[in-house]
Amino acid sequence: MTNVARTGQTLLVVASSMLFAAVTSAMVVRRGIGGDWVAPELPAWVWATAVLGPLASWLILRGWVRGAVIAGGLLVGLQVLVLAELRMAVIGEAFLSVLVAAHAIHAAAGVAALARWGERAGLFWHFVGALWIYVLFLFGVWA
Amino acid sequence: MFSTDHKVIGKQYIGLALFSVFLGMLLSLVMRFHLVHPDTKVRLFQMLWPEGAPGGQMTPELYLSLMTMHGTIMVFFVLTTAPQSGFGNYFLPLQIGAHDMAFPVLNMLSFWTTALSLVTLLLAFLVEGGAPLSGWTAYPPLSGLGKITGPGQGLGQDLWILSIAMFCVASLMGAINIIVTVIELRAPGMGYFDMPLTCWGWFVTALISLFAFAVLLPGGVLLLLDRVAGTSFFIPGGLIVNDQVQGRSGGSPLLFQHLFWFFGHPEVYIAILPGMGVISTVLSVFSGKKVFGYKAMAVAMLAIGGLGFVVWGHHMFISGMSPYSSIAFSVLTMAVGVPSAVKTFNWLATLWGGRLRFTAAMHYALGFVSLFITGGITGLVLGQPGLDIYFHDTYFVVAHFHLIMGVAAVFAIWAALHYWFPKMYGRFLNERLGKIHFFLTFVGVYAVFVPLHFAGFVGNPRRYPDFKEYEFLKSVTGLHMGVTHAAYFLAAVQLIFLFNYFWSQRRGAVAPGNPWGATTREWTDD
Repeated sequence: MTNVARTGQTLLVVASSMLFAAVTSAMVVRRGIGGDWVAPELPAWVWATAVLGPLASWLILRGWVRGAVIAGGLLVGLQVLVLAELRMAVIGEAFLSVLVAAHAIHAAAGVAALARWGERAGLFWHFVGALWIYVLFLFGVWA
Repeated sequence: MFSTDHKVIGKQYIGLALFSVFLGMLLSLVMRFHLVHPDTKVRLFQMLWPEGAPGGQMTPELYLSLMTMHGTIMVFFVLTTAPQSGFGNYFLPLQIGAHDMAFPVLNMLSFWTTALSLVTLLLAFLVEGGAPLSGWTAYPPLSGLGKITGPGQGLGQDLWILSIAMFCVASLMGAINIIVTVIELRAPGMGYFDMPLTCWGWFVTALISLFAFAVLLPGGVLLLLDRVAGTSFFIPGGLIVNDQVQGRSGGSPLLFQHLFWFFGHPEVYIAILPGMGVISTVLSVFSGKKVFGYKAMAVAMLAIGGLGFVVWGHHMFISGMSPYSSIAFSVLTMAVGVPSAVKTFNWLATLWGGRLRFTAAMHYALGFVSLFITGGITGLVLGQPGLDIYFHDTYFVVAHFHLIMGVAAVFAIWAALHYWFPKMYGRFLNERLGKIHFFLTFVGVYAVFVPLHFAGFVGNPRRYPDFKEYEFLKSVTGLHMGVTHAAYFLAAVQLIFLFNYFWSQRRGAVAPGNPWGATTREWTDD
């Protein structure tokens, strides 16, 4: 990977981290002051999707980018299924929807980048995989 | 048109900003006219805004929509685009010895996303209900409930949010491009502290943009969801608007203010830091000396950028905040004065003992320093909660931010244009016209904005479409009349600049390769 590609992806990671930090802090504040917070309940199978990010990362490191694209695409598809179940009028689910949708956009971009640039886009994908675990942790443990 | 060449893209950004600044200025003239002639019927208004000015009589809602669009156009499409994306794109690669920006295609996409964002914003004028009313800050609940809160609050506000979201994406792409270019594409042997201060300005601004726009973007998305998806991120429970209960629960308008101003205050530095870089260069070149305290100047930019992220609360002293938080935000706000004073001192020290050449660019640079001091001093006034509670939402604030963020930054743009025009077009901007324009504009901006401080002393609220119903504002009627006429004068003077800009591109005196005797790379590099 060239230095330009690595630095570019690192900055993209910084910007995306900032975006997710902003939504997280908004969620922390909103949860604390609204008086109407109900933790969203996710179907058990959603937790299993946590492995898809690291799986794709492992496949990238093994040089099988096509497999990573399939795993990443599967993650995006499952995220769309999660979104379909969430109700926007319930604030906890609305925050979850925003985070899942934001992550799905990142994951789709990551998959497209892998398909286009192969392993050179690996850094961003590793971040995307970790970010999904963070989103699940946020709702599974904290919220 | 879809060029990936950084010079072409730089010129495209400058062209977009030029269109925007004149549009924004025309809107301000209409507003100034209405403020002093609130009952006058104008046929042109009726033609332009049949709903907003029935019979030619401007409604308060139309006034607010003009104000919203004026602020949005000026802040985003002028002050954020020209200094950073315009001049930054054109000159950053040349000054650090790079062939182009790090990601030329991304660069092209950034510009066209910005252009699409501007078109989306302007479409708000054409849709049912017209442009939104909620100001460039778009505070909910006004901005979050749809057209029940006003004629422009339907589709117009949706388009506004979409436009800003697109602008965020474009700015993030642009910021990444500039940062990577600085980090990775500097000429061999060129360290960070070997870069001209202009590059430091663009670099720090890009860093600020990266963190700030990444927060505004989700803020805008959450606001849009409150409008279209029935969520309650920012809409409180039990809210009644026009006798209708809104059926939301638990949302917090203050939460939006925090998200907005976490972006909004750094945005001020996004507008001014590239200008600071340009002014340092121009003062140095036309003083025949190196910049005094180069390293301190670069560090001061970093300090201003860093402090910019911890002072957002000073926009919200009156929104409801613990006094302890107010003190913290106030002290940090005062701290911004330190690096700002370092810069001002160093600019003056750069001039000291120099062989000054009073070119047009030098005039604008000196004008910038003057405006920066005048506008900056009132920032220290407003940064104190006790004073801000009185001055909040008065014309004192309007005067403050127009001088420091608006006019000072635009003077830096003029300095940059006069300085770099020979590189961009191979010809000089006419010096005599430039100086005439400078003096008339300099007088004009002070004539407009100094009196507005006094209106603020009286407690004159901003955002009011007229003052005729308020006994306590009778004393400022004459002042506003004077300001409005000064604004007409200021706008008319800009025709000199416009003529000079286009005429000199074709007919200006042909410039040699390095006409100012500068030492930076752009004059020797193609």
